[in-house]
Formats: sequence, structure tokens, C-alpha cells
Amino acid sequence: MKSLRQFVLRLSSLLTRRRDERRLKVEVEEHLALLTAANIDAGIPPDEARRQAVLKFGAVEALKEQYRDDRGLLFLEQFVQDTRYAVRTLRRSSGFSTVAVLTLALAIGVTTAMFTVLDALVLRPVPFRAPDELSLIYMGSRTGGRTTVAPSVLRAWRESPGFVGAEGASPDIALVEADGTVVTRGIARVSPGIFDLFGGVRPVRGRLFDLTEGRAGTDDRVLLSEDLWRAVYHGDQSIVGRRITVDGQALLVVGILPSDFRFPKWNTEMWRAVDFAMPTTNASAFPIVYVRFSGKMPRVDALRLAQDAARAADARNAKLEPRVRPLAAEVLDPYYQRAVPFLAGGVMLVFLVLCANVSSLLLARLTERRREFSMRSALGASRARVIRQAFIESSVIGALGILVGIGLAWALIATARGLLPEALLLRTLNPLNIDVRALAIASASGAVAVVVTGLLPAWIGTRVDPIHSLRLSERGGTETRGAQAVTRGLLMAEIALACTLLVGATLLVRSFVNLASTGRGLNSSGVVVAWIGFDRPVFKDPAARLSAVRSVEDHIRQLPSVERIAWSGGRPPSGGRISWGDWKSDVPGAPPVNMFVEIYEAGPEFFELYGIPLVLGRSFQPEDTAQNVLVGERVARTLWPDMNPVGRSFSFEKEHFNVVGVVREIHHPSLDPTVDRPEFYMPFTGVRGQGWINIRCQGTCPNTALVRQQIRAAHPQLTVNDADTLEDMYFEQLAQPRAVAVLGFTFAAIAVLAAAAGLFSVLTYAVGRRKREFGIRSALGASPAQIQRLVMRDGLLVAVTGVAIGSVAAWLLARAIASFQYGVSLNDHSTWLIVFGVITVTTIAASWRPARSATRVSPVLLLKDE
Amino acid sequence: MAKKDVQQGTLALMVLKTLDVLGTLHGYGIARRIEQISGEVLSVNQGTLYPVLLKLEQEGAIESEWGNSENNRRARFYRLTRAGRKQLQVETKDWEQTTALIERFFGAKAEDLK
Repeated sequence: MKSLRQFVLRLSSLLTRRRDERRLKVEVEEHLALLTAANIDAGIPPDEARRQAVLKFGAVEALKEQYRDDRGLLFLEQFVQDTRYAVRTLRRSSGFSTVAVLTLALAIGVTTAMFTVLDALVLRPVPFRAPDELSLIYMGSRTGGRTTVAPSVLRAWRESPGFVGAEGASPDIALVEADGTVVTRGIARVSPGIFDLFGGVRPVRGRLFDLTEGRAGTDDRVLLSEDLWRAVYHGDQSIVGRRITVDGQALLVVGILPSDFRFPKWNTEMWRAVDFAMPTTNASAFPIVYVRFSGKMPRVDALRLAQDAARAADARNAKLEPRVRPLAAEVLDPYYQRAVPFLAGGVMLVFLVLCANVSSLLLARLTERRREFSMRSALGASRARVIRQAFIESSVIGALGILVGIGLAWALIATARGLLPEALLLRTLNPLNIDVRALAIASASGAVAVVVTGLLPAWIGTRVDPIHSLRLSERGGTETRGAQAVTRGLLMAEIALACTLLVGATLLVRSFVNLASTGRGLNSSGVVVAWIGFDRPVFKDPAARLSAVRSVEDHIRQLPSVERIAWSGGRPPSGGRISWGDWKSDVPGAPPVNMFVEIYEAGPEFFELYGIPLVLGRSFQPEDTAQNVLVGERVARTLWPDMNPVGRSFSFEKEHFNVVGVVREIHHPSLDPTVDRPEFYMPFTGVRGQGWINIRCQGTCPNTALVRQQIRAAHPQLTVNDADTLEDMYFEQLAQPRAVAVLGFTFAAIAVLAAAAGLFSVLTYAVGRRKREFGIRSALGASPAQIQRLVMRDGLLVAVTGVAIGSVAAWLLARAIASFQYGVSLNDHSTWLIVFGVITVTTIAASWRPARSATRVSPVLLLKDE
Repeated sequence: MAKKDVQQGTLALMVLKTLDVLGTLHGYGIARRIEQISGEVLSVNQGTLYPVLLKLEQEGAIESEWGNSENNRRARFYRLTRAGRKQLQVETKDWEQTTALIERFFGAKAEDLK
């Protein structure tokens, strides 16, 4: 208790410092006065009385010092004092401080931004409460099953004690009309209680759904996302309570959800209340069911209860089991799971490069102030105290760096969301935001940066002999050997890291360029494909189907710039029927080939529309049966190597096919080789349950929203499952490599620029130091070119060493990211040439100015400077 | 006898006892009193009193306030608190026990130690 009271008193005395010191002064004065008076009374003359009084009292200054030490918290007072001094010093050299703070801010900002991306794409793609408890569930067998759930089963699962809640959701695309324009937006039909399942969802305006909504009479209630509200309805304040037009229906807006909330897909911006528990026979209206597992019983038991409940509710589930897919796994993207950690590593390297820059800056500043430190040392400061003072300066820079860095991270994230939206957001329900975790990372990285950059310079820069403070002729700014070695070492490390990043970035960028420019085998620009479902009962009649098909064609032709139309079964590049298994050619003795094959149904207009040429044989004719097929070049090569396949046949399980011709292969460039499958074509015999309409446009294609609208206008019972441009289909495989390449390039650019800046400042500093030497050399007859060469050699030496070390690391990195490469390899000369070229140019550019200024040293002025 | 220097801990005890006996005193008064009682055997640099007074005040054994000295000038007066009185009692007992123990040791003859 006593020590606690003492501590509190000492702490509070920090505030009453001045008053306390005055009090001591008064007391001491009074004490001395009384002593003097006593001496005078004893008969001693007044001056002698005073002198003896002082002697008797003891050393006043020493007393005051000890008093000060005992009075307050010494450590804290010193800390405050050092901090104030550090701030003053940094304000004085504002140029250096700004550069140091900005460099650190860049390091912290980039790291924080990268962490946010890592968090959203890999660590926490599902930002709801206890995300491990949330799962998708359906009844199926080991080989598959319908992922949607019947209402009776949903009702049964709601009652089950194994689940805290069970709700349904069904994502779709809808046509939204506002201000006379029509756009497509993601919509989800959801059961009204779904927001309780996640917890913590609060509307920005209005309210959430009532649990009674979604039934007949109240099934027109809709919630909008804030993003949609601002973009399409311009933030109309009166929108809650109004009706909006969606898919031709007037729906009532009951509230606005925050733009952070995304479910079940990243682009879902509207939610419509539907009571999925109401019995219905329309199986296509069944939802996907999401549950939250109860924490009170083990999963196994919960699932067993669910199975019993499902079987009791619906006899068709008798042989099926509950299949569970965690929500996080639904969302996680395997590409990003592999790529993002590498990017995080890249960010670490950039962080280190920038810290190295700041470190050498600090070192240079501190060695300049060696006189000051030796003075302090002579006055009695311990080495530890001096180091602490230097370290506090770094900490102040670090604290400012953290603040600016957070702002920079916010700006970077906003830019990334604007430039690469689908690529970054496609696979996460987590909105990319700077949240508490990101702030914690920013502070932590700032602290690490301060320690890493500040300790070494503090230790080396303050390594002084007190005798230096006496030497009048000490020229400020000479480098110690230790400082010089450290600076050179830091610079080599920077260049090595920059080289590594550059190699990685070059490989990624070249891979992306290859992916984007690889021949696709067909004319893919200016094509829109819509996948139309003719599965309603009204289309069972072939005549009705045919008339609907004609109607669709007529309506589509009304759209502007439509050039030609072709129907097909399946659409390129990877949207056909897939068959996987053993394919046998008719060559005697040939082994069956195990292949994944894409099968399309196409007519002659299809091949004309896409510009797929016939290579061998003939194209389809009206009398061709379903067994006469056109094979792509890959199937031809695989089944009949070195042979003309025309006229031959092949089989798959019980089906037989006759080859009438060979067409050029379609390619789907992707990092994943299984995406690009060989294909063959069966003749198109008319639309059955599904049809794909391929639309070639002249110039730019009409908006896919308009296409959907026209199809709906052609026949209201048609369902549009999908409508996309073909370029978008190809872009799906390019989006992620593009994002990764952009990020990699940015990191490499930052690292190279930072290394160049570091090299530049180090060389400038070194030249400044060696001015006398250059002056003497030029006085002795050295030409400017020779002096320039001296300086450039200095820079090149550092660069070459850095590149040598970096090449090894780069080689290792290139092997590690092999799976992200497309069409490039390690032994590619062009990659190394590019990298060496960039580093050489950068080194020369960075050394140019210092080299030139070295030649401008006038020997006469130098001699006067003595 | 040569004047001896005194330790900080014992100085604190002396201050407490002085205030106990004499009531409220200022710094000079305490120093003077200690000198008198010790019979001028102990030499105390009177200034060393002040850190001791500070520590005692932080511990809560004494409290202080402004008052007027004999010269009619401002001086700080100290007095014992209840906690200080208790601390004095405890420490006095400790000292007595320690001195009794030492005495017994010195008084013991060789035979007693068998």
C-alpha cells in the first residue's frame, strides 16, 4: 500500500513540479536564515555566520538534485523531456523529417492495405459473428444432389435443436428500372429471419424484415444495399416506403442495409422477403439453406438430428444424408489462397526496403550530430540515456508515420476497390475496409519499423568519445567506419530485395500479358450470349417452343447493332456439356484416352458467327444425325495422332460418334490447365429444355440488361439464367492474374524507386564528405570524367553486389511462384535481361547527379575552407 | 568524540520521534533538536534532512503546511500523522528488540555458549 501511495504521489507531483521546487527553495532559504541568525546570536560576525550556516547545511545544489530525483518519477520526466527535445530537433530539420515520415508512412500504408486484402480474401472472408458455425446444408448423396431444400425440410430444421437457426436464400440477377434506364443488379430472395442468423446487421434506414413478411400479400417487400441506393436512386431520402420497379414488378422498399453487408454473393444488392417455409410444389423456387450450428452439442449429433428430421419431413430424403459446406469454404478462392500469401511476402520485402532507407537516413543524421552527443556524454549522460534519446527521435518519426500511413492505406484501399473491383471482391463477403484489425496491424508494423530502423542508428550514431566535444576542429559530418559499413550494407540489401521483387513482378506481368494475348481460336469480341431456360410446362409442346424461339430472335433483332444470331447447345469457351471418362478411337489396338471433353451443339451459323474455320472434312448438313460430329483439333490429335480423322469414329461408354470434319480448336487461356478442355460439336437440332443464343454485334454490344429485357418481352415464361458478353467470360480467368500482376508491379516499382532514392542520398552524402579529396584530385590534374567515373564506380559496386545477392533470392522466388506463371520460365533470358536492365538504368540515373556535383568542386574554394 | 555520520533510516526514526515529542516543527527546528538530543555527537549535514522529510511525507507518516517562523517569515511546518505515530511505535519496538538481542550476545560469556 505504501509503495502504491508513493507511486501515485510521485505521479501527481509531475504536474506540480514548479510549485514543489519553489517550496523547497523557500524552505531552504528559511532554514539558512535561521541558522545564520543562530550563528549571529552566538557572536559570530554576519558574513562568517552566513558562510558557516551554508557549510553546516551542506551542498544545496546536490540536495536539490536528489530532491528532484526522489520527488517525481525520474523515468517519466526524462521521457517527457527527451520527447519534447526530439520534436524540436525534428522540426528544425524539417526536410529530413518529412522524407523519413513519408517513407515510413508508405511502408506502413502499403503493409496495412495488403493486410486488409489478406484479411478479406484469405483470413476472414466471412465477416459475421462466429463464422465457423455458419454452413450451407442440403440433403444429398456422395455423388451429388440438389443443393436446394424443400420447405418441409426447412421447417423441420428450424425446429431442430441442433441448429440455432435455419434460413433460406436464393441469389439471382434482376432488372432494375429507374429514371428510364434499366440495369442488372444482384438480388437475393431470402427468408425474413436471415439477418438474425448472422447477428449484428443493422439497417442504415428503415427496418429489417418482419418475420411475418414474405407470405402471400406481403411478398413484395425489398431491402436495398446502400451502394445501390446511392448509385441507382441517387440517395433519394424518401425511398423507404416507396415502390420501385424490379423485373417489371412494383416492390416496396422497407429499409436500406449498410454497404458492408454482402450476402449470399459479393454483388447482391437487393434482398426480397420470401417465406420459404410455405409449402410449394415449384421445385425451382426452393432455396439454398444456411444454418448456424448450436454450440451446445457436437456437430455429429446435430447432423444426425437434422438427418432424422429431414427424412421424417420428406420421404424422398430416405437414402440421402445431410451435406454440409462451411460458408467460409464456399467463398474462399483457391487462387487467392495461394497468391495472396506471396503478395503479403512481397509487401514485407517492400516494407524492409523502405525501412532500410529510413534507417540509413537516421544514421546519417545521427552521425552528423556526434559533437552534440559527445557533449552530452561529457556532461554525464550515460550511454543508455543517449541511446534512449536517439531512439525516441526515431519513435516520434514512427508515430507520425503510423498516422500518415493509416491515411495512405485508406486511400490505397479506396483506389483498389475502384480499379479492381471484381478481382478483389469476387470471392469475399468481407467488404474491404480499414477496421480495428487493420489499425492494430498499422500500429504494430509502425512499432516494428521504429525498432528496426531506429535501434541500429541509435547505437552506432551515438558511439562517441567524450573527447570529441573538446576538439574544435572536428568537422561535423564525417562518417565513422561503422556507420559507413552499415549504410553500404543496407543499400546492398535494398537493391537485393528490389531485384527479387522485380524478377517476381516481371514474371507475373509477362504471364498476364501472355494469358491475355494467347490466341483464342475464335472471334470473341462483340458477342453476347444469353442462356435461356425453356423449362416451364408451357414449353413442353414443341410448337410453343418454336414460336418462343422465333419470338426471341425477333425481339433480339430489334436491339441496335445486332449483326447475326445463332442458337447453340452450350456456349464457348467452357460452357458446354462436360463428359469425363475413357474415349476410344476406332484405331485397332489403340488404348482408350482418359479426357475431360466439352461437347457443344452447333449449326453452321454458329461457326460462321464465331469465325471458326473448317480444317478438314465438311461441315454439318441437314441430314446429319446426332452421331455425326465435328471434332476440334485437340480431340483429333489425341485420338488419331498423325492420321486424318475424317470418316473415322470414336466411342464413349455406350455412345458412338462419326467424324465428318475437323474445326480449329478453341482455347480458354488460364493458369489452371484443366479449364482449357478439348471439344467436339454435335449438330444443333433445335432448342429443347435450354437454349443458348449467341449474338454478334457490330461495334459495341447492347447492355446485357437490355438483352434480358427483350427476352422477357418475347415470352414472359422464359427464364434468363445468364447473359454475358463473351469477353467477360474470358476475363474471368484473367481477372485474378491481372490483379496479382498489378500488385506485384506496384511493389516492385516502389522497391526500385526506394532503392534508387537510397542510392542517390548515400552517394550525395559520400560525395559531400569527399569534397576535399575530389578538389585535390582535380587540382592534381584529374579530368571531370575521371572523377565522375570514381563516383559512379562506387554506386555500381553496391548495385552489382546487391544484384548478385538478389539474383539468388529471385531464382528461389521464381521457383516458388511457378504455378502463377503462364508461358514464361526461369530460364527465359528476357526476364533477366529486363531486370538487369532496369537495375542498371536506375543505378546510373541515381549516381548521375552526385557524380556531376563531384566534378563541380572548385579546388581553390576548398583550400580556403580550412 | 568525533562526530559520526548517521544513516538515512535512523534519521527518519529520529525525525519521527522528535515530532512525536515536540509536536509541530519546521525543518530547522527538527535539525536543531536532533543535534541537541544527540549531544552534538552526531554531525548531520542539515540539508540531508529534506529528502528524508520528503520520503516520510510520501509514505504518509508526516504531513506539512505553511506557517510563520520566528522571523515572521513563511516556513513549512511538519507534524506526525496517526499512521506516523503507529509507524514510530512499530519501529521503536523493533529497535528495542534488536538492541536487547545484541546486548545478550555481547553479555554472554564463553561458558553460556556451550
